Amino acid sequence: MRHHKTWSATAAAAATALVLAGCSGGDDGDVTLTYATWSDDQKPAMEAIAEAFEAEHEGVDIEVQVLPWPEYWSTLQVGAAGRTAPDAFWMLADQYPAYAEGGQLLDIRDAASDVDLSAYPQSVLDLYDSGDALYGLPKDYDTNGIWFNKALFDDAGIAYPDDTWTWDDARTAARALTDPGAGVWGIAAPIDRQGGYYNSIYQAGGQVIGDDGKAALDTPEAVAGIEFWSQMQTDGSSPTLQQLSDTESVQMFMDGKVAMYFSGSFWAQRLYSDEAFRANVGVAPLPMGEQRASMISGILNAGYAGTEHPEELAEFLIFASGEEAAKIQGESGAVLPAYQGTQQTWLDAMPEFDLQVFVDAVDYSVPLPIEGNAAEWTGLDSEYLAPAWNGEQTAAEAAAAYDAAIDEVLAK
Amino acid sequence: MTAKTARPPARRRRAGGLGPSPWWGYAMIAPAFIGLAALYLWPFAKTFTKSFMDVPAFGPGEWTGLDNYTELLGDDKFWQAFGNSAIYTAILLLGVPVATVLAALIHQVGRGRTVYRVLYFLPVVTLPVAVSMVWRFIYNGDFGLLNWALSLFGIPGQYWVADATYTIYAIGAVGIWMSLGVNLIILGAGLQSIPPELYEASSLDGAGRVRQFFKITLPMLSPSVFLVTVLSVISALQMFDLVFVMLRSVDNTALADSKTIVYLFYEKAFVEFDQGYGAAIAIVLLLVIMLATAFQFRLQRRWVFYD
Amino acid sequence: MTDRTARAPKAARRGEWALHLALTAAAALMVAPFAWQLITAFKTTGEASQSPPTFWPADPTFNAFTTFFDSVPFWSQFTVSAAALALRVVGQLAVSALAGYAFARLRFPGRNVLFGLFIAMLMVPSQLFLIGQFELVRDLKLLDTIPALAIPGMFSAFGVFLMRQAFMSIPAAYEEAARLDGAGPLRTFRSVMLPMVKPTLGALAVLTSLYSWNDLLWPLIVSPRGDHRPLTVGLAGLQGQYGTDYPTLMAGALVASLPLIVIFLVLQRQFFNGIASSGLKG
Repeated sequence: MRHHKTWSATAAAAATALVLAGCSGGDDGDVTLTYATWSDDQKPAMEAIAEAFEAEHEGVDIEVQVLPWPEYWSTLQVGAAGRTAPDAFWMLADQYPAYAEGGQLLDIRDAASDVDLSAYPQSVLDLYDSGDALYGLPKDYDTNGIWFNKALFDDAGIAYPDDTWTWDDARTAARALTDPGAGVWGIAAPIDRQGGYYNSIYQAGGQVIGDDGKAALDTPEAVAGIEFWSQMQTDGSSPTLQQLSDTESVQMFMDGKVAMYFSGSFWAQRLYSDEAFRANVGVAPLPMGEQRASMISGILNAGYAGTEHPEELAEFLIFASGEEAAKIQGESGAVLPAYQGTQQTWLDAMPEFDLQVFVDAVDYSVPLPIEGNAAEWTGLDSEYLAPAWNGEQTAAEAAAAYDAAIDEVLAK
Repeated sequence: MTAKTARPPARRRRAGGLGPSPWWGYAMIAPAFIGLAALYLWPFAKTFTKSFMDVPAFGPGEWTGLDNYTELLGDDKFWQAFGNSAIYTAILLLGVPVATVLAALIHQVGRGRTVYRVLYFLPVVTLPVAVSMVWRFIYNGDFGLLNWALSLFGIPGQYWVADATYTIYAIGAVGIWMSLGVNLIILGAGLQSIPPELYEASSLDGAGRVRQFFKITLPMLSPSVFLVTVLSVISALQMFDLVFVMLRSVDNTALADSKTIVYLFYEKAFVEFDQGYGAAIAIVLLLVIMLATAFQFRLQRRWVFYD
Repeated sequence: MTDRTARAPKAARRGEWALHLALTAAAALMVAPFAWQLITAFKTTGEASQSPPTFWPADPTFNAFTTFFDSVPFWSQFTVSAAALALRVVGQLAVSALAGYAFARLRFPGRNVLFGLFIAMLMVPSQLFLIGQFELVRDLKLLDTIPALAIPGMFSAFGVFLMRQAFMSIPAAYEEAARLDGAGPLRTFRSVMLPMVKPTLGALAVLTSLYSWNDLLWPLIVSPRGDHRPLTVGLAGLQGQYGTDYPTLMAGALVASLPLIVIFLVLQRQFFNGIASSGLKG
């Protein structure tokens, strides 16, 4: 009995001590702004930006925090609904409308009156267009290209992709590079919106969401764009969808199992940091269809409307998307900064890669379609399109079914 | 559970005595009750109200009556999730006989009982995220341990967590693996309370071990088996995290067909900003769980034996 | 319970072998994932994704562990996990023991209805409470504190249920003796009854530790400023960052689970005894 008492007393004391230890450590009444992100890769760059800002703004402290990606949006949503969201955070285009229309984002139009918006790619600004209000500024952007494995092309005796490539060239090469015996495929063809079939839909002259605000996947152009990818699967030029679910495409590419991966500029740093693999990596523009097209997306540095320090926050957002911050990002190699004229820093960080391809792609870039409840209808794509990839349906059938499903969501 | 609460010998005797004032009872449950009311009942009431509303991501919602429920009943996604949860529950129930036999075997062992219990319990003390990482790796279709082991027997491998034909079964296997430890403990406690004299008497009658298992162990253990079954069904119907951590990867095309009810709730409420619809899913799930539990309590009269 | 092998020595000893064989085979299945995890943690990424898999690492390396400790703030997150666990366990034991005793031993109007309410909450999926609980913690101005991590977990219907069962299995005579000695209900509870359910308290402590240590979504939500995040958050982040770098994931999974496995191994005797004597037997 006595023993039990001492035990519980000790435990309680230990708990109190730990709690106090956990609570201690605060600031001296200065302004502290939190900045939520989801990328560990980019953390060093974000911290460097925070420091640069703190150096210019006495008494403002920026806390960079990295949330795990799967929980990022639920955490942000509960926080915003509960009036305790981080002050600054990364925003994506498909989540943006809910936050912007819900009045959760800080309007920095007045504070940013001196900011020259033409320094940012118009197609990225279009993703975050809320009329008169300005809910943040683009931090970076990403366009798409062909990442290819030079060694596998050399082994197969096939010329590297270049800016003359058409769809047919891509298809032929993918088939020729495939060597089932060696466990090598010509291309990774997952059901990928941003790096995959959206691009080919626009390259064929189609649209995902038409000008009338309804899905446009049942047009011949859009079907052709979808078929470009589903055919890679039915040809056997790509690992199956199951294989790509188990081991994501970028990993397949880095393992030397696929020769081409059509995807975004955001992989550059990861591919570059693998020193043994680096020399094998080449970059080329996406192949031509009826025309050139590349999806463009970008992260927005947004602020929380319920912040306690709106002035400092607005200043920070402008700074974090500004020229100096863009250079810090570019030099880190993490991402392609959005601010005009700073892209060279990113290109210089990885001179062995021909990254100019991604900067050039801005000229023919198309903003990601984010009509309506985009989070809901984009989540349906693998379900409706997988039959085409698996060869159970034609591209036209799958596209028509998905088209109807999108319209149903948009009609809500 | 019920039989025990229904007639504890101690209480019957105490009933005649002069107990302390009822206020002591209220005072002692007060901390627990305040916590329950504030952290469970109140949030529950709110969710219940939301299920009759259209609630946007931010800001107040508006009343829509039974709209969420009628939409739900016509939603294929809901029925699919419902079916997945049902299959998962059925798989977890298969774990109950396994646990019962294992518990009886462990109980028979003279030495090393603790070692087995500890080993079987290890999955319970491991972080779910860690568990999912290990199993994803084992289930990998190209270089996973499972397919390699199967290939030794000439069985063709599968993409266990990437092919919707298999996902729910693959997850169910992990579910059994994770819950076995807890089930064994509950059943082990039940076995300890069976009087050894029963076995001695039947041994004298010449009954073998298998016969003893069916004639003595099973009936005497049935209250524990019942408890394990009830708890298994409740937790199986609430399953969320295994889908969340094992199937959510960038390109996983199998996820769409492998969602469980709670996963669907999470997705509606926290990803697609449709809290009202999410709330309706949760309320329907609660009804299902209550019905399933009530059904089991009715059924127990046929097979659960209370001494 | 009694050693049945003593009764029929010869046949039983043969049976005992068969038993061990069956149980060991099952145990091997249970432990195989852990063994594979351990072995993989010492492999290189390339070797881990070879087909067919190699068994022993060809060239054992600690790289995976280095990567893990470089990318996760292990010690600060460990402290948070441990502090939240300690607080939650202490709170849960106090709350559950008091309520469990009242439900088992005291008589007051509405007792069964209230107890039913507790049990009903077991059936509600916990995700459903998320937003409401968050709002409460926020209104109490507890966001970004250790108590925020621990508070909802202190109040568990299961804990109350377990303690009630334990108290019910204690003969009433003890209590009556205390009362005849003039002890009030509180003193009877503290000095007579509580010591007798110590094993169950221990078992509940282990179970609560488990839930606390494994929590992921809740800690993320109640620490918007991010300075009080437990180890699970670090591990989940690792999955995003090193998606298919299996050795690093395995090393991280191992290191993050280890503290709890150690606690369990140290306390396992008390834990199993506690559950056995808790009356959790149907």
